[in-house]
Amino acid sequence: MLETVKLSKSFKGKKVVDEINIYLDAGESVGLLGPNGAGKSTTISMISSLIRPTSGDIKLDGKSTIKDPSEIRKVLGVVPQEIALYEELTAYENLKFFGQTYQVKKDILEGRIQEVLEMVGLKERQKELIKTFSGGMKRRINIAAALLHQPKILILDEPTVGIDPQSRNHILETVRELNKTSGTTVLYTSHYMEEVEQLCKRVYIMDRGKIIASGSKEELLSILSTEDTIQVQLSNRSESLIDTIKSFSNVFQLDETNVGLRIISKKNSNLLSKLVLASEKEGIQIVNYQVEIPSLEDVFLHLTGKTLRD
Amino acid sequence: MSSFIKKDILVFWRDRKEILMALLLPIILIVILNFAFSGLFKDDEEAIHIDIALLVADDEKVGKEQFEHAVKETELSPTEKEKVLDEAANLNPVGLIHDFLINPEIQDWITIKEISEQEATKQVNNGDLDAIIRIPEGFTYEVLSVVLLDERPNHIPVNILAKDPSTEVGALQDIVHNFVHSLNVQFALGSTGETVYAEPVLPQGGREVVEGIDTYSISQYFTIAISTLFALFLAQTVALKTVTEKRERVVNRILLTNSNPINFLLGKTVSTFILVCIQMVITFTAVQLLLSVFPGKTLEFWVGLVVIMIAFSLTVAGLSSLFTSIVLHLSDSNTASGLFTLIIMGLGVLGGSFFPLEGLPNVFQKIGEWTPNGLTQTTAIKWIQFSDMSDLFFPLTVLTAISIVCFAISMSIFPNRGRI
Repeated sequence: MLETVKLSKSFKGKKVVDEINIYLDAGESVGLLGPNGAGKSTTISMISSLIRPTSGDIKLDGKSTIKDPSEIRKVLGVVPQEIALYEELTAYENLKFFGQTYQVKKDILEGRIQEVLEMVGLKERQKELIKTFSGGMKRRINIAAALLHQPKILILDEPTVGIDPQSRNHILETVRELNKTSGTTVLYTSHYMEEVEQLCKRVYIMDRGKIIASGSKEELLSILSTEDTIQVQLSNRSESLIDTIKSFSNVFQLDETNVGLRIISKKNSNLLSKLVLASEKEGIQIVNYQVEIPSLEDVFLHLTGKTLRD
Repeated sequence: MSSFIKKDILVFWRDRKEILMALLLPIILIVILNFAFSGLFKDDEEAIHIDIALLVADDEKVGKEQFEHAVKETELSPTEKEKVLDEAANLNPVGLIHDFLINPEIQDWITIKEISEQEATKQVNNGDLDAIIRIPEGFTYEVLSVVLLDERPNHIPVNILAKDPSTEVGALQDIVHNFVHSLNVQFALGSTGETVYAEPVLPQGGREVVEGIDTYSISQYFTIAISTLFALFLAQTVALKTVTEKRERVVNRILLTNSNPINFLLGKTVSTFILVCIQMVITFTAVQLLLSVFPGKTLEFWVGLVVIMIAFSLTVAGLSSLFTSIVLHLSDSNTASGLFTLIIMGLGVLGGSFFPLEGLPNVFQKIGEWTPNGLTQTTAIKWIQFSDMSDLFFPLTVLTAISIVCFAISMSIFPNRGRI
């Protein structure tokens, strides 16, 4: 349905998006993960036709949208990261204005406004000014405004940043419902891994302008199939014990965390017995030993060497 | 486009601070300035008051007897002599001057004291009196001889005696000069002053009243100057709303709806036009009700004034559109705000919104007359003075043209995709 081909964007000679290839099939829900500055928002701006790519192409049903973006704009609903609403207008007035600019026919606009308000759970508050809303409520209206023209593809750029858990759940539920019941194709960007895990069947991981991994959740987790991540809590910190663990042949990486040590080792390498021996020798007790079930966060860490919220 | 207009008006309307600034502040300023400067342009009779003594050295009875004797000496027929003497009996030149000086209109300017010549001279020297009007001996005889016997006048003048050539004395000389001049048509008499100046000087500090031309007052000047200045600020206010729209990515959201950018600009332009019209109506109505700035004006005058203000509102709307396009180009809202304030203050100074254009050097006056507010002000003042429709055509065409040019420029510099 929608694909990018070697899409790139440079600002003042610096490449912020580097030849990325993304595709969205009809009815799919796809996540775009990446830390701040990874290039997610620039990618979305290019896909939604707000900025021109430096090179590459964006195709909607096989047809380039670069020169004439009017077709993609018709089928696209974009929820920007910012609250792109008029604070001095009520929720209803905002939706009416954007509905009119989307050229939703007069006779169905009123119905659509009520539908989207119902969808985001703010029908009762429609006559109130946006500036009186909480951050979460504003974000819900922000989504509602992108749904007025019944878009086939919905792009959400970090729609849950800085909001309360209740609104966050509401937003996630709304997006899930849209994807499930209306068959809306969703491209969801976030640096909240758990949201993407909940919502998306497929995930693109982006870092420094590049797609560094993609696939279903299972496919991405399989990247870590050869490794174990072990959290170890010790009674005392010991430099020599750390050096000893690092010297174990199956340990790939050791990081100190605020609760102890985080060890990445070869899968099923029976590290525990070696660790017990080494700690006894140093007179240190092992308080806690836990082999973690890998998550996408671990995949991201494995791929980039940093966490999503770095 | 109507949705854009409605949105812009609503956004402005809900901003109470801006509403107070745009609608109340000009009214308050006009009222304050009107009271503060009301002395500047007050009517002459209010600004100037003259205390005089009227001294009559002429004896009317003696004059008439002299005249009767002179008539008898002429070669006129008895019937003609009888007719001339009848007319002379009804003519009282000293009385005419006295009546003129005590008529109600003149009395607003002049207070006449009836005192002796010695006392009058003393008071003039002390500064208690502005001047003495002295009707010389033989005045009645001379006037009657000239009027009724066609004799060449001996130029017996009405003397005005004063210590200093003050504005008041100048005004008095004008009054008397004008009166005697009007009598000269019949009497062929002259009048001269014996003060240190000879030529009549128009009253200073008052307003010059020319027949057929109405004058404009300080209140009218401030009403036009302040309302046009604040209208210019409205262009800035509406344009700066775009800063928030840009920052919050509302502009981007609008662009994603496939809306033509012209709708966005037209929304700003038309809403500014409507807001300026509302501002003007409220300001002029409030000021008229509070200060009666345009007393006794005809419906035609008001229609003309509305037409001028509509043309000016169009220009402000064009400016707002230009400012909006500039805002979309600038990344720093403070730069935009500073730039627009500078432009508007510049227009305010050059266009005579802070003080009348007449106070500026000639070259600046010429430039000022081409600024939107300056041109509007000049046109409105002309309209107050002459109410001549033909005076409106050119300036209104220029104002409309400025509006169109501003809009065209704003369209041409409207940022391309990805530049907002």
